[in-house]
Amino acid sequence: MRMYTGSIMAGIIEVKKLKKTYKDVEAVKGVSFSVKKGEVFGILGPNGAGKTTTLEMMEGLKDIDGGSATINGVNVAKDPYAVKEMIGIQLQSSSFFEKLSLVEILRLFSDLYVETKDALELLREVDLEEKAKAQVKQLSGGQKQRFSIASALVNDPVALFLDEPTTGLDPQARRNLWDLVKQIQSAGKTVVLTTHYMDEAEYLCDRIAIMDQGQIIALDTPKNLIEALLKRGFKPRKTVEPATLEDVFIDLTGKELRD
Amino acid sequence: MATTPPSSAKRKWLALRSLTVASIKMYVRNVSGMFFSLFIPLALILIFGFLFKTNTTTTKIGLTNYSKSEISQKFVDGLKGIDAFKIEESDEGEAAGKLGKGNIDLQIVVPEDFGVVDPATRQLKAVKVQSYYNEARPQVGQPISLVVAQIVSGFNQGITQAPVIIGYESKGVKTNNLNAIDFFLPGILAMSIMQLGIFSVAFGFISYKTSGALRRLQATPVHPFSFVVAQGITRVILSLVQVALLLGLGVFLFQVKLVGSIFDLMVMVLLGSAVFLGFGFAIAGWARDETQAAPVAQLIQFPMLFLSGVFFPRDGLPAWLLKVTDYFPLTYLVDGMRRISTEGASLWTVRGDVLGLVIWGIIVYFVAVRVFKWE
Repeated sequence: MRMYTGSIMAGIIEVKKLKKTYKDVEAVKGVSFSVKKGEVFGILGPNGAGKTTTLEMMEGLKDIDGGSATINGVNVAKDPYAVKEMIGIQLQSSSFFEKLSLVEILRLFSDLYVETKDALELLREVDLEEKAKAQVKQLSGGQKQRFSIASALVNDPVALFLDEPTTGLDPQARRNLWDLVKQIQSAGKTVVLTTHYMDEAEYLCDRIAIMDQGQIIALDTPKNLIEALLKRGFKPRKTVEPATLEDVFIDLTGKELRD
Repeated sequence: MATTPPSSAKRKWLALRSLTVASIKMYVRNVSGMFFSLFIPLALILIFGFLFKTNTTTTKIGLTNYSKSEISQKFVDGLKGIDAFKIEESDEGEAAGKLGKGNIDLQIVVPEDFGVVDPATRQLKAVKVQSYYNEARPQVGQPISLVVAQIVSGFNQGITQAPVIIGYESKGVKTNNLNAIDFFLPGILAMSIMQLGIFSVAFGFISYKTSGALRRLQATPVHPFSFVVAQGITRVILSLVQVALLLGLGVFLFQVKLVGSIFDLMVMVLLGSAVFLGFGFAIAGWARDETQAAPVAQLIQFPMLFLSGVFFPRDGLPAWLLKVTDYFPLTYLVDGMRRISTEGASLWTVRGDVLGLVIWGIIVYFVAVRVFKWE
């Protein structure tokens, strides 16, 4: 029996030796990884590690200087528009048009794609239905991020890219966004996200790539990464409490969203 | 692998239409933007309209009648019956003072013997009606005194019958009177086209750039150039609406006479707004943020605002400055629109202005494409 392992095993996203150079600085030095369909893939790393640049090359927002990125079989460098057609992007600091209501913005974005979902349905999915006629500036930080995700879902994308989706959110809004990401994953979508929060990566991501100075220095499941560290003889500075301070905070102030 | 086109023509059109509709919504809902593009030219037209309405359509005359005859009274009543004149009867010294201050435009003195029959000849006495105008303002005084002279001569001819003087009054006034609002309106329209193009694009577009809205659009399969086009279409539509509104106001409120064809005028509006949109896009595309754009936008619009003949004729400029300002895009626009509107010129007659604008358009879009940065 012949096995087409190549095509069956290949991930929905394939990144090979991806490179980006800004003048003299090599921001991304040939990173390679593969993201499987339906998984949440995290890219972690300190500021300036090249996370966002890597993400933006995969999204077709930045030119690829070396190597290749393929999404759902389409080469990003060769056909960025076909890639943009089937992915959803949430930018780190994107703003939307002023003076338009949420539903108007979503309808406008819908008109830019072939495949589209109903605007009100999308707002319901991110729990912003009653804000349909509000403008973006009237939203709280968490609501803005949820709306941003809704706008990234208008084309019912195969893969969703989230760049630091929870930065600056309060614990309630952060956990609420985690639930949303899980919900999107359970709908069968692939999610690639960057984050600075380790608890977030541990909770959300099936696999994690840790980047530093433009290179991937580790790539595995959170569990395997922790086990590998312990095997190397790592001892925590103090015994881990069975609960965190954030658990205390959530317990005291409730899970109820404050926006 | 062949590159698949980003989208079919139909999809591009749909995207462009949606972006244009959204741009119009954003613009119309932006109160401060609407204020600047509509209210300011509106206010200018109202100010100029009312200011010059009182000055040009009614002439204040200070009248001193020394005669007590019935005929002199008829003469005075005749003058009073002319709508264009506002007669103030006062003593000679007071009227002279008012003339000096510019409170009245003309002073008329009717001598004591006016309409008085000479007992020796049994004829009316020969008299001279004296009029004075302010030499500092000959453009007002001279034509009026001419009119009064005609009235007097008409009065002379008809003195045996009932005085027929109304027939003479309107002649001189209208031909000689440059109706100020007719002159200003095309200038103000051209100014509003320039400002809508330069400012609303430069600042509106830069805000999309700095806020990240433009970048968000880049994450979609539609090239952000579509958004530039949508913004351009929005501004052109707004310019046409704005001009139509302001022109309508001028016609209904101040009886502005549009001598030339409205179609030719609108072609100039389209051409002018395309050129100034180009300026706006060049600035917005080049600048990183508002603080970079503002001084450049001002530097471009300020000299034109005052030297392109918007508010006063350029004849008074020194020769060298006249030569330089001849080539300003706003000069071409003002001149073309004004000649169509006040002289009834055709597009062919003002082809020099049309050509000037076309050349500016080519230059400015070439520069815009060169300096444009998406981020």
